[in-house]
Amino acid sequence: MPFKKPVQKYSASINTVELGTGDKKIAIGGESVLPFYTFDGEIANAPKVGIEISDLGMAEELPGLRAYYDGAESVADIAKKAASMEGVDFVCLKFAGADPNGENKPVEDCVAVAKEVAEAIDLPLVIEGCKNAEKDAALFEKVADALQGKNVLFLSAKEENYKAVGAAVGLAYGQKVGGESSVDINLAKQLNVLVTQLGVSSQNIVMNLGTAAAGYGFEYVVSTMDRVKAAALAQNDAMLQMPIIAPIASDCWGVKEAVVSEEEVPEWGPVDERGICMEITTAVSCLASGANAVILKHPESVKTVSRLIKELI
Amino acid sequence: MAKFIIIGERIHCISKSMREAMAKRDPEPILKLAKAQIDAGAAYIDVNIGPAEKDGEDLMKWAVQLIQSNFDNVPLCLDTANRKAIEAGISVYNRAKGKPIVNSADAGDRIENIDLAAANEAICIALCSKAGIPADNDERMQYCQEMLERGLMQGMEAEDLWFDPLFLVIKGMQDKQVEVLEAIKLFSEMGLNSTGGLSNVSNGMPKDIRHIVNNAMLAMSIQCGLTSAIVNPCEPGIKETVRSCDIIKNETLYADSFLEI
Repeated sequence: MPFKKPVQKYSASINTVELGTGDKKIAIGGESVLPFYTFDGEIANAPKVGIEISDLGMAEELPGLRAYYDGAESVADIAKKAASMEGVDFVCLKFAGADPNGENKPVEDCVAVAKEVAEAIDLPLVIEGCKNAEKDAALFEKVADALQGKNVLFLSAKEENYKAVGAAVGLAYGQKVGGESSVDINLAKQLNVLVTQLGVSSQNIVMNLGTAAAGYGFEYVVSTMDRVKAAALAQNDAMLQMPIIAPIASDCWGVKEAVVSEEEVPEWGPVDERGICMEITTAVSCLASGANAVILKHPESVKTVSRLIKELI
Repeated sequence: MAKFIIIGERIHCISKSMREAMAKRDPEPILKLAKAQIDAGAAYIDVNIGPAEKDGEDLMKWAVQLIQSNFDNVPLCLDTANRKAIEAGISVYNRAKGKPIVNSADAGDRIENIDLAAANEAICIALCSKAGIPADNDERMQYCQEMLERGLMQGMEAEDLWFDPLFLVIKGMQDKQVEVLEAIKLFSEMGLNSTGGLSNVSNGMPKDIRHIVNNAMLAMSIQCGLTSAIVNPCEPGIKETVRSCDIIKNETLYADSFLEI
């Protein structure tokens, strides 16, 4: 009997969300099949890879990574260099310096940096906050205003600040809203409901379901992504059809495998390579589980992951 | 396995205002009731024009186009004894949001409505009765088989036959209720879809307690595998019961605001 290949194509689809403007704008989502299941149906928008930079510059980074940015003084220079790396689809500017428990930079300073970076690059821009809900809300409002028309994604609106972030970023300034729900699938859906109820179109929402480095409770991340995609496609759940973005850089570069020096643990080998491995492994696992975009830090991992995507789709 | 389907029953010529609106082709009252039911969670709207022997075809066409054009092609359940009127309704029906439902066939005089549904690629409600109330579930399941075979012979998919166990009024047939639930379970075990005029169970009860009984019967029926019901979704608790059952059966992912979406 001849083999008949079963096709698993769904009538529902993931929303398509565009980021950026002009020639370099990107679209994420849009598929009606499981991740990389191109044999079941077309994946018009391959997953995208972003590169993360910080408003604090390169001072705190490992020497191996710093070398890639030699000669870049300002954050705008760093952004320019980041945007020119192989495989980069978008740049993510993280305002680590805004953290009230850290440098606590004033919002106005952050706005100035955001403007410089947006001027310096033509790739789509993603803005990541400092994880302090109150500060992020204030910061996002001003940055969203300053970058009007640039179609920027903000990470993220959380349970504590979704009203302020959704109203400013999504409604007042027409930017894209990321909803963050630290690996809590019910909260992921609830946030989408709440942000939509504010009046933000579901086409302007991206989900950050929460991340972890591979090996650090990562199975929860994977099962959450799996369940979300299943609900979106098989159950046609409109409140879970937003594309998924996984900003995994800080998780990956924060675990001991990525930071402990070679002198301390010689048998682990060079520290830079370990971080890159961690980033690639985590990114690929996220993509296989349904992430429509990943945000990485090391140019080597960006290049590798981007090539892998191009080979598969 | 899918979310439970509410078929809103309120556009029914038994109500005086609906009868008048249909006779005068007055859109307002009909659109108002359609909207109220859609807002309350109805996935399908039943359009009962009664026997409509005189102008059934014209009336059904008018009603189908009126409701679908105003509510994004909401799928409809065409409910009349006039077969020509059902065909006329289907001829102008937009399938973008779902197939039309023929309401209804039975195993007796109305069995040809299965042929009608098959010929028109429609869903057909198949009432498990021939003449009067089936004596027991052996009889119900015999009718179920007869109608299933008839549909399959005509090329229908089994999923397009929605079997109606015939919900019975509690006041008078209290001892038959569990049997109805068991019939639903039998349909479900065969992988069949089911539906029915569920509020019939509370017929004749004081108005203020009907919805309580209806909600209890609804939840119990859903647990037995009922996949749809013809009810008044505007009745207190109906939408909440159905949504909660969908959550409990894991048909849709829970979120705190699940009753609002």
